[in-house]
Amino acid sequence: MEKFIALFAEALEREDEIRMEDEFRNYEEWGSIAYLSVIAMMDEEYDVQMEEADFKKLRTVQAVYDACTNK
Amino acid sequence: MDKQFNPFSLEGKNIVISGAASGIGRQCAINCSKMGAKLILLDLNEAGLNETLTMVERPEEHFVAALNLTDYDRVPEVIKEGVAKVGRINGLLNCAGISTTLPLNVAKPEVLDKFFHVNVYTAYFLTQAVCKIGNFSKEGGSIVLFSSAAGQLGETCKSIYGMTKGALFSCAKSLACELARKNIRVNSISPGVIVTPINMNLPHIADPEQRKQTEALHLLGLGDPNDIANACIYLLSDASRWVTGTNLVVDGGYATR
Repeated sequence: MEKFIALFAEALEREDEIRMEDEFRNYEEWGSIAYLSVIAMMDEEYDVQMEEADFKKLRTVQAVYDACTNK
Repeated sequence: MDKQFNPFSLEGKNIVISGAASGIGRQCAINCSKMGAKLILLDLNEAGLNETLTMVERPEEHFVAALNLTDYDRVPEVIKEGVAKVGRINGLLNCAGISTTLPLNVAKPEVLDKFFHVNVYTAYFLTQAVCKIGNFSKEGGSIVLFSSAAGQLGETCKSIYGMTKGALFSCAKSLACELARKNIRVNSISPGVIVTPINMNLPHIADPEQRKQTEALHLLGLGDPNDIANACIYLLSDASRWVTGTNLVVDGGYATR
């Protein structure tokens, strides 16, 4: 999980703390570039390819983690 | 006259310079230090870097690392070490690069690979490392990619060099769009022919006849590393705070015709 948080922080370019229960769309860093970075990170690091419509359903950091690890 | 007025000051700014062991990169290091910057100096040539360090102001303040910029995994580590010593980065000059004059009929894929790695990939991934979280100043800053007159204009046997420099010209524009949200400005600079210790021995400068022809292409004669270093000071300083995604031509009039 630590590795995921580090990768997620890097994709978002977020220096502040990230908690699994956070709703990442509320982060100041969230935006179209962050979205593209997270999608690329999921693909490269977890071999998970997600349609935009499915990604839109994810609300929390935990949900992204689950999507990456529960293939 | 207001002696305090200096919009070109680099005091309080930390600047990364690649290719700092000689030529334009070295001159940039010297001039930036004179303008008050703290430096992170990178080059493959350790002896040259150490010589540069003897030429800059306040040498003890700066961070120097000899590394191969095509060692893409090592670059982020070195940048972290540099930030730990001098603080977060406010600017980057991607001076490192190589040149060639090669006809189409003898070019090989390996040559293109080498030139794209040394001229394009290194600048791109050094920029990436500098922009990683925790490295760049939260206030933003300025990144300069070194294009060339040959990146926009044609010259016989300069296709490979020109391709790489054209890539950097284009790269600056899209990175400017991408990094503006962090208040990081990205511009390219396009020098004409500059006389440096390295190219002094190349035929277009060393041979008197060819040098005459090269000079004739530049309305103001050939350039000096200072001409580029001073333009870089402008791009790094707050004097250019509203300038991004552009290409600064510093070529003694080469591109006018």
